Amino acid sequence: MIRLEDVHLAFGDNTVLDGVSLEVPPACIYALIGPGAAGKSVLFKVVAGLLRPASGKVFVDDEELGPLNEIELARVRKKIGMLFQNYALFDMNVAENIAFPLRRLFDLSEEEIAERVAERLERVALPGTEHRIPQSMSGGQKKRIGVARATIARPPIVLYDEPTAGLDPVTSQKIYDLVQEEQRAQDTTVMVISSDVAGVLTIADRVGMLHEGRLIFDGTTDDAKASTDPAVRQFVHGLTEGPL
Amino acid sequence: MGAPAAPVGVLLALPQRVGAFLLALATQIGGVTILLGQILRRLNPARIDRHELFRNLNRMGVRSVPIISATAAFTGGIMVVQAAPFVEQFNAKGFIGWAATFTTFRELGPLLIGLIFNGRVGANNTAELGTMQVTDQVDALRALAIDPIAYLVVPRVLAMISMMVVLTILGDAIALGGAMLTADLLLDVDPRIFWASAIERLETWDFFVGLIKSLLFGVMIALMSCYYGLATRGGAPGVGRAVNASVVASAAGVFIADYFSTFVLD
Repeated sequence: MIRLEDVHLAFGDNTVLDGVSLEVPPACIYALIGPGAAGKSVLFKVVAGLLRPASGKVFVDDEELGPLNEIELARVRKKIGMLFQNYALFDMNVAENIAFPLRRLFDLSEEEIAERVAERLERVALPGTEHRIPQSMSGGQKKRIGVARATIARPPIVLYDEPTAGLDPVTSQKIYDLVQEEQRAQDTTVMVISSDVAGVLTIADRVGMLHEGRLIFDGTTDDAKASTDPAVRQFVHGLTEGPL
Repeated sequence: MGAPAAPVGVLLALPQRVGAFLLALATQIGGVTILLGQILRRLNPARIDRHELFRNLNRMGVRSVPIISATAAFTGGIMVVQAAPFVEQFNAKGFIGWAATFTTFRELGPLLIGLIFNGRVGANNTAELGTMQVTDQVDALRALAIDPIAYLVVPRVLAMISMMVVLTILGDAIALGGAMLTADLLLDVDPRIFWASAIERLETWDFFVGLIKSLLFGVMIALMSCYYGLATRGGAPGVGRAVNASVVASAAGVFIADYFSTFVLD
């Protein structure tokens, strides 16, 4: 479970999060949508404890992140898997990237690690690519490697930041299907940021919309589609006329 | 009539610039000090990633050997070429070995190798950490519950400091070889006379002064390059700016440390 209470964050004079409160129930796929520079990626970093809010409270599994130091935060972060918008893959081969958290955080044999990596690669439809270098692979493949790395330690919470940005519609849908299958298989709590509103609504249970640092909508997918709020309506239906 | 008075904006520009410069300087000194504190905390008790340490020792030290060797050999030779007219004028061939060794051990060895090390290893380190910072790889490490200071910074700092000292010893030896060869070819100074002159007049402390300086330069380059790398913002142009700032600040730091350590160690 993830909960934010009246979270404020600014970079200098630029207010990025302005009193955001939301709750993501356990085993739910929560889509976070909104125009560019609305504060979505910053909100993810706040949830993962990578950024500390100026005020407000953030809870992950009922544990408040505010009072925790870096070492204690690392313990909470073990519960979270994160896919970054621009992959954030390391300068090592595919298998080493995916196995990275296992090697660093768990006492597993090399055989077990190799098995888990092979299973993840099978799951993200990239079997046999262990020795390839991510930099030489396509955007869709890098996203899938990122998904494999984010989920290999079987964290109960997974954050996906723009998992389909820059991908063609077919690959995008495959990624969404993968996110949904993973969530169903592991019963994880998932937050997804996506600019592809139509696509992400096909898998989301709940939706939140950020605009200028404020959460202007929080409800079910059906509520989002039926919303009469002009900004929500314009963004969800992709209309050119409206306040955005 | 006198010259027209300068607008208030122009008069304020200089103090504003001085103030901005001092603020930036204080931020950087504070940032480097905090980084040093974070590193020392990870060393007590020591939590060193051995794989990363050996990887960095190899790429920062072993792979620097060719460029350090070439630079040192030519530097030793140039030193003798520059001194040659005076050596001949004052018939001081019996001093050339001591002069070359003294200058190399105390000053030229650590300083030139420090500057080459800064250009090759320090710049590369800043670029690598800066790229990791702007592509979210540092945040990815934290998100994976891995401490970036322990994993990325500590092994690099230890590797840079130790390799700076080792490369200085190697560079000193090669520079003296270059000096000896040039003295033999240019001034017809027998290598035995060259070494006898050095051994007769040189003190062990002269050698250690250079090593202490190289240790200081290593600390300076390691801290600066890591600090500027991790402080990188603003994508690829930001990486370029960080590398530039790191190389300039490290070089300035090396010269300042050299100046003061020369006084203290003498």
